[in-house]
Amino acid sequence: MARDVLRFTGVGGQGVLLAGEIFASAKINLGGYGVKTATYTSQVRGGPTVVDIQLDDEEIWYPFAIDGQIDFMLSVADVSYQQFKNGVREGGTIVVDPFLVHPTEEDRKKWNIVEIPIITIAKEEVKLVLTQSVVALAIANTYLNLIDEKTLVDTMLSKVPERFHKPNLLAYELGKKYALEAIEKAKATA
Amino acid sequence: MAGGDKVVINADGKREVVMIGNHLAGLAAVDSGCKLFGGYPITPSSEVMEYLSDALPAVGGVCIQMEDEIAGVAVATGAAMSGVRAMTATSGPGISLKAENLGLAQMAEVPLVVVNVMRGGPSTGLPTRVAQGDINQAKNPSHGDYKSIALCAGTLAECYTETVRAFNLADRFMQPVFVLLDATLGLMHAKAVIPTAEEVKANIVPRKKFEGDPKDYKPYGVAQDEPAVLNPMFQGYRYHFTGLHHDAMGFPTEEIETCRKLIDRLFRKIDEHRDEIESNEEYMLEDADILLIGYGSASLSIKEAVNRLREEGIKAGMFRPITVWPSPEERMNELGKKFDKVMVVELNQGQYLEEVQRSMGRRDIEKLTKTNGRPFSPQDIIDKVKEVF
Repeated sequence: MARDVLRFTGVGGQGVLLAGEIFASAKINLGGYGVKTATYTSQVRGGPTVVDIQLDDEEIWYPFAIDGQIDFMLSVADVSYQQFKNGVREGGTIVVDPFLVHPTEEDRKKWNIVEIPIITIAKEEVKLVLTQSVVALAIANTYLNLIDEKTLVDTMLSKVPERFHKPNLLAYELGKKYALEAIEKAKATA
Repeated sequence: MAGGDKVVINADGKREVVMIGNHLAGLAAVDSGCKLFGGYPITPSSEVMEYLSDALPAVGGVCIQMEDEIAGVAVATGAAMSGVRAMTATSGPGISLKAENLGLAQMAEVPLVVVNVMRGGPSTGLPTRVAQGDINQAKNPSHGDYKSIALCAGTLAECYTETVRAFNLADRFMQPVFVLLDATLGLMHAKAVIPTAEEVKANIVPRKKFEGDPKDYKPYGVAQDEPAVLNPMFQGYRYHFTGLHHDAMGFPTEEIETCRKLIDRLFRKIDEHRDEIESNEEYMLEDADILLIGYGSASLSIKEAVNRLREEGIKAGMFRPITVWPSPEERMNELGKKFDKVMVVELNQGQYLEEVQRSMGRRDIEKLTKTNGRPFSPQDIIDKVKEVF
């Protein structure tokens, strides 16, 4: 299997770290190799944050994603989107929250830009903004089909306190639903 | 285990865990029987204390966030004098603050584990970015003459195993032992295969203790290549504790021969037991034409570069000191004779390069260095190898 390389970006405090951790752990639980690294600035709350995730069946030594080789990026903050978008290979998919991230027309030609209101889903439908990380997790896995869904969800539940299992399960379902709708919509307009 | 990850025992009887390096250092402290952690939060090492704030009280230990870095090492030194295993963790700026107390622990021979998760410097530098700029600092953090022991983890698993080794070496040689991690290793999250806690506990050699008549107890009156024997305080064995030059009982002295012998012993207890301290990794060196020398997280990039260079028919290999101080000078000297093409790869301006030059007795060694807070990518190394060799 070729290496899968994903990047989640946001600003400090949004919780983008957790989704990366869940992906890496789920891959390891399946017997493969997964590495998550996070890079952030010294402005912890509000500074641009980037999480790199690499999944492979072979051992991974260098833990960071290499610019130009990233297949999929998800972004919930414009500052980080602008800073990190060029790491995504041409033709790669970038999922953005359209209320927070503003891709240019040029960006739309270069990458497959998908707009899903990630924060709004977490805030207004799950009614728990912290679950946006799990909404993002579901979107990424629906697009890339990287990890068997049960393993991914079980890994996710092992990392959140039990009282938050219900909203996080709802967040996962909603993320998946919105992603499937976006995929259908793209097919229809293709 | 923190983080909710499941622990698997594999076919070799080792633990497979999914954690960050800083938490692994914390877990190693618990499994090594550490009973006190004193520290102060600093990026990128805070997660060591975060882990221990839960894990140490759960095993009857104490984790204290002190008022500053200096108090963090001071409380750990005091705990170590009472006989327990103790640790502090910080980053480079914290080591600068702790330096005076680290010198005291070297002079008075107090066993301590000091984790330094390196970030960009000097001064407050680049708090969230990776660097390996504290290599020289680990050799001589404080003034005066003494011999440091510094272990540098190069994999996630070594964040655990080198911390365990640091506790054992601290008790064996009665002095602070550094564990050098860096922002990449400390915060990366992946699988690590580590020994079980039972295996670690079974290999603990307790600190030497004087069991005879307290009247005959002379903590510093030991053989010239051996460390002091400091019994725990308040158990009937009395001695004087000072940073001044001292005699066999620890009392200050300026007697010429006693002063000479004290510093000579601080060197010889290390120099004459290097075989107990040294540890290296040699990766694909047997048939290599090009020798790359690196340590810490930079070695992850070097390994990937070696593999990719070999796919192109360029036979590179890596030598990695795990114990960076005392340096593996004899092995590096041998390698310097075997290899014409040698390059040191490190995230500073060439701090270990100087040690490699000294050990090999050569000046014609290439270097790849970086000090902008970013890691080497494997491609950086591949490009440099192709450029210079």
